[in-house]
Amino acid sequence: MLEALRQRCRKLLEDKTVQLIIGYGQTAAHDPAFPLFITQPDEVAQLVWNEQCFCNLTKYLLKPEIRALGKPAIILKGCDERALQVLQQESQINRAEIYVLGMVCQGVGRPRAPKCESCDVPVPRWADEVIGTPHAPREDQVERGPQSDLSRSERSTLAPRYAALETFLKKSPEERLAYWKHELSRCIKCYACRAVCPMCYCNRCIVDKNRPIAIDTSPTLKGNFAWHISRAFHLAGRCVGCDECTRACPAGINLRLLNLALAQVGEEEFQFRPGMEPSAQAIIGAYSLTDKEDFIR
Amino acid sequence: MSEIISRESLRTMAQDWLQQGGRVFGPVRMESDLVLYSPVSDPQQLLLDGWIRPANSIKLAVLPRHEKLYEYRLKGREVELTPVDLPTAPQLVLGARPCDAGALPILDHVFNWDYRDEPYNARRQATTVVTIACQGHDNHCFCTSLGLGPDASTGSDAMLVDLGDGTYEVRLFSEKGQRLFAGKTQTSQATGQVPSGPENILDLDAIHRFLSGGFESSRWTSIALRCLGCASCAYHCPTCHCFDMVDTGGLYGGAKVRNWDACQFGIFTMHASGHNPRSTQAQRQRQRIYHKFHIYKEKFNHWLCTGCGNCTRNCPVSLGIRPVLESIQKDFQ
Repeated sequence: MLEALRQRCRKLLEDKTVQLIIGYGQTAAHDPAFPLFITQPDEVAQLVWNEQCFCNLTKYLLKPEIRALGKPAIILKGCDERALQVLQQESQINRAEIYVLGMVCQGVGRPRAPKCESCDVPVPRWADEVIGTPHAPREDQVERGPQSDLSRSERSTLAPRYAALETFLKKSPEERLAYWKHELSRCIKCYACRAVCPMCYCNRCIVDKNRPIAIDTSPTLKGNFAWHISRAFHLAGRCVGCDECTRACPAGINLRLLNLALAQVGEEEFQFRPGMEPSAQAIIGAYSLTDKEDFIR
Repeated sequence: MSEIISRESLRTMAQDWLQQGGRVFGPVRMESDLVLYSPVSDPQQLLLDGWIRPANSIKLAVLPRHEKLYEYRLKGREVELTPVDLPTAPQLVLGARPCDAGALPILDHVFNWDYRDEPYNARRQATTVVTIACQGHDNHCFCTSLGLGPDASTGSDAMLVDLGDGTYEVRLFSEKGQRLFAGKTQTSQATGQVPSGPENILDLDAIHRFLSGGFESSRWTSIALRCLGCASCAYHCPTCHCFDMVDTGGLYGGAKVRNWDACQFGIFTMHASGHNPRSTQAQRQRQRIYHKFHIYKEKFNHWLCTGCGNCTRNCPVSLGIRPVLESIQKDFQ
């Protein structure tokens, strides 16, 4: 699979289909792979593809320095591709100007990352080409579709992707608040969560609005709650669950739980999962003249 | 001949310290794969072995991530300022690495240069640093390139060398260290063994020479391509010390506080006019390298780095000082 990937990348550069490959490199076998940018055919030997390829590379499609390098081919997993879909819906990229090399993915991390355990997009769906042989999904990975006529408890048994959230929600509100206080007290506001998030592309983030200050910039419990709640609000109906924020967090805060809560509401109340269906209207960012709320008209 | 102390005696020492109103910092397991230096309230939380190094640094004991400088209150047209007491409570750092302790004498320069930073110096004077010599390293460590090593004494008041049987050889380097361990050790025939450190891979003088003429080099753009502009490197660095001062509070009063800040943020150098002298990530990465391996060296004759490797370990895209310097070094060799 790696050899096929390298050969395809070489060909794409040689025949000038693209000027740039956005892929993965690696220093040592057990280290995480890192984003690698290749412009010369002879450099393709530096590309890797393995279970250490965590990064969601779509983030780089938004960087001016990367855009300046010409038309890119980008190596994407099925989960990353959901981010590409949302970025396209939000008019942040021109899909025609991007060549997508989709990788059939068996999951990342050892042990596998939590998102991989309930993955239902192991094969990219809208790539210009897919590398690798699709394997049969596990029984519990089969997409069953929205089940909005079922009660919450019945639904949860049908959606293993929310299992961690359901377990968490069994705690009392006091226990949950204590949990978040304990977790968020470690946040140092390095903003790695924002930096890696493909959906965090605001020219000026709300925490950087300092005339006047909109969100308390101090890494105190109050300031940290303000930041993470604001971020969650901004990601509602947009987060694709790539879990990059959780992986990037140097304080080990399980931001995935917040994202799962957003995703579950989107799926149960609006039958919507960001980046899963190109024709589906976004929950936030789309409006209708027939909306029952009149303030929106 | 050496002086030794048991792990349990160390915990008792920490307990005594806490009971006398002091603060204790040390390595604590936060998650299955995450050890952080943290204030401890119970000495049993201290995790004294089983890790290469914690993911953060002990600078939090001398430069906390958030600190109140003074309070203010508005009364009509009057402004009332209230100073905050200097932090003079005794502090014990138990279980630092030499690459953490080594940062403190480096930081002393910048906090006692054109301005003597009172809270920093108060904490620094009140802090006793006990390191544990390294028994191993990973492929991000490069302390030997900075003149340190697994049992380097710089910045430590005392050092513990694991004897493998629940006891440590105690090496004392300062009066603070002697006071801390006085009467608490036993004489033994055992002496601790410390393995060699990581290979010395960087020629910093050559890198300094490159930097002397490399400000406009085109390489900074390619080096910074994968940097996403967070502060994970700076906030986990034992030597990074930039901070931001902001007013917090309401209409009639509040406090001036200082919070950590970092040069990789675009807003770090944003002028009120809207002009930003470091508008690209390449300029910001360049600044980080220059500050550590040129500016600080010229000004204080120290590298602003201890080779701990935390920048790379914590970087979501595995960048950091060592990969950048290796890439620079490879090109000019």
